[in-house]
Amino acid sequence: MSATLSFSAARVGYSGRAVLSDVTFDVRPGEFVGLVGPNGAGKSTLLRSVTGAAEKLGGSISVLGADVERMAPRQRARLVAVVPQNPPIAFAFSARAFVEMGRHPWLGRFQDLGPDDDAVVSDVMELTDTARLAAERVDTLSGGDLQRLTVAQALAQQPRLLLLDEPISHLDLNHRLQVLDLVRSRAEEGIAVLAVFHDLDLAARYADRVAVVADARASEPLPPPQALDAGVLDRVFGVRAVVRTDPVTGAVAITPVARRADIDIPRRGRIGMVCGSGAGAGLMRRLALAGVGLHVGALNRGDVDRAVAEALGVDHLDLPPFGEVDEAAERAVRAAYSSADACVVCATPFGRANLGNLRAATEAGRPLVLIGDMGPERDYAGGEATRLWERATDAGALRVHSDDDAFEALRSLLDDEGTPGD
Amino acid sequence: MHATATSATRRRLTLVGLAVTLVAVVIAGIAFGAVPVSVADILGAIQRALGGAERSAADALIVDLRLPRVLLAGLVGASLALAGVLYQALFKNPLADPYILGVSSGAGLGATLALVAVGTAYAGRAFGVPAGAFTGALLTIALVVRLASRGGRVEPTSLLLAGVAISYTLAAVTSFIMVVFRSSMASVVFWMMGGLTSASWEYVGVVGGMLALGALVPLLYARELDIMLLGDERAGQLGVNVERFKLVVLASASLVVAGAVSVSGLIGFVGLMTPHMTRLVLGPDHRLLVPASALAGAIVMVAADLVARIVLAPVEIPVGIVTAVLGGPFFVWLLVRGERR
Repeated sequence: MSATLSFSAARVGYSGRAVLSDVTFDVRPGEFVGLVGPNGAGKSTLLRSVTGAAEKLGGSISVLGADVERMAPRQRARLVAVVPQNPPIAFAFSARAFVEMGRHPWLGRFQDLGPDDDAVVSDVMELTDTARLAAERVDTLSGGDLQRLTVAQALAQQPRLLLLDEPISHLDLNHRLQVLDLVRSRAEEGIAVLAVFHDLDLAARYADRVAVVADARASEPLPPPQALDAGVLDRVFGVRAVVRTDPVTGAVAITPVARRADIDIPRRGRIGMVCGSGAGAGLMRRLALAGVGLHVGALNRGDVDRAVAEALGVDHLDLPPFGEVDEAAERAVRAAYSSADACVVCATPFGRANLGNLRAATEAGRPLVLIGDMGPERDYAGGEATRLWERATDAGALRVHSDDDAFEALRSLLDDEGTPGD
Repeated sequence: MHATATSATRRRLTLVGLAVTLVAVVIAGIAFGAVPVSVADILGAIQRALGGAERSAADALIVDLRLPRVLLAGLVGASLALAGVLYQALFKNPLADPYILGVSSGAGLGATLALVAVGTAYAGRAFGVPAGAFTGALLTIALVVRLASRGGRVEPTSLLLAGVAISYTLAAVTSFIMVVFRSSMASVVFWMMGGLTSASWEYVGVVGGMLALGALVPLLYARELDIMLLGDERAGQLGVNVERFKLVVLASASLVVAGAVSVSGLIGFVGLMTPHMTRLVLGPDHRLLVPASALAGAIVMVAADLVARIVLAPVEIPVGIVTAVLGGPFFVWLLVRGERR
């Protein structure tokens, strides 16, 4: 099927200056394409170029095969409807009269709204949950109501292509989903949709494909999991994020965890970590987001720290629920710890099942940081954990009492390790 | 008020009400004056004139003096109000009107130049002057819009400043021409102050014709006028050919202003006040606002002219003085209200 909207080597901008170059992609009938990217990257400019509000400086932009530049505004408005970022400044029109303006491209100069037009207007107001506002004056309504009325106005145009510029910025949670569900259902009826999103989760959830606009380019739209992987988020938004599949919605869910600028440390090394029972989650997160390579030992499925390791993509050895760190596992963990720049033991309690991790760390031969004190309240291995602890302390392990101190200690260890000739 | 049927009824009632008021004011305008006449005299005189009978002196006073004068006042008022509606919608600026934008001065200068060129001969006076006024009005609005544009956008404040500045400059040029050609310009001085003393049936025809032409556009473009209030970009998205719309509207506004100015000189504030009051009462729907403003403008102008004729009777004051006395404070009130918002 041919494309509804087609950019081909398009260069768009203002006053002769290009904001985006070499934009080439199609939006097909029934397809919902999302545009994401940092502020000021040119997402709105790209949308506005379709209706001539931004200049096309090269290439071509066509709707249903026709060059948009050659279309009369009226002809274009029958095919393309826009929901702008900010609802227009409203005058004292009634909400219904405001939505009726969407019928303008379909009415002749001597023609008034007919029964068919009235039916369309009633329908879109019903769908956008604005029918009850019909008699209200738009200049007395809230931003959210006005935004939904603007969506209704655009739908009243009965377009083949719907351009949405962050259409939900003023909406509450319920209405966000309502408007996007509505747009989604229109797409399923065959309308092509190109929408700017600031909320990446919603983009991933509603769009079939997502194009990333950054550095004066728009990427080829890809399905959300590929378009919005952690690498793209790091590169485009400068954000360390965890990207996983949301178990409830089934869509890609993005959890931005920290700004890159806030977390960079001088050198990214590798740390072996002994953790479990949630004692290591905090430190693991900080180190992982700082770009430090980690191995967190053998962990049981169902363990909190293992879930965190999974989400952060941190190396670990899988154990079945209630399984023990047997000799083979211990060997593997020791090998991993041995290749680290340093090891750290979190404030995890130890029993027979996980003692192997602790032993591996103490025998790895790397600088060791121990968090907290060891005593009967942590040692459920009949004194074996305490013995290992004391031996490590005697061998020069560093003792700290908080995650913060441990982080600083590891950071300086990594610095030392990185010094040439050390 | 939400059902379409109700608003259509309301619209009809409003217009009928305004039309009835206008008829009443017109009758009052004919009846009062240095020599009062009765309603029966008026109706009889009109009847006799339509019948083609020889006119008595009393009938001539009504048919050849008062009636064209009152009708001309109404047409001028309607023209100025119509232009005000158009400028206010186009510039989304409640303070825009032909006087403040300098269009009236531009039309005045054009008319004066035409008068100097063609003299006071009948044909020149009836057609050359309106043509000159139209040219002057068009050139002026083009210049003012250009001066007020910043990167394709017309700044509301710059628009008013440019309008007032151009208005004064053109008025000064007009005065200079009057001084240079003072022998033939004695009547022009009074005309430029805003007066209807030279009313005649020919003028009624010229101004009426220009108003009819100029009113066609806003009636046909009423929906576009509404949509333009949402801003140029949004109007374009909704299918309005914004550039063509602006040209057409500016041309028709200039046409009606030229018609008004070429017979009555510079009359301020009618184009500002009446659309405003009408909008306050009736809302922004231009299908109602355009005809209602024109009717209201006619009412205000006929009433103002009546006041101008009788307040110092038998001496007549220029009607522009009456409208300015009413309109100046109104303008200040708008400014103050705008700042409080």
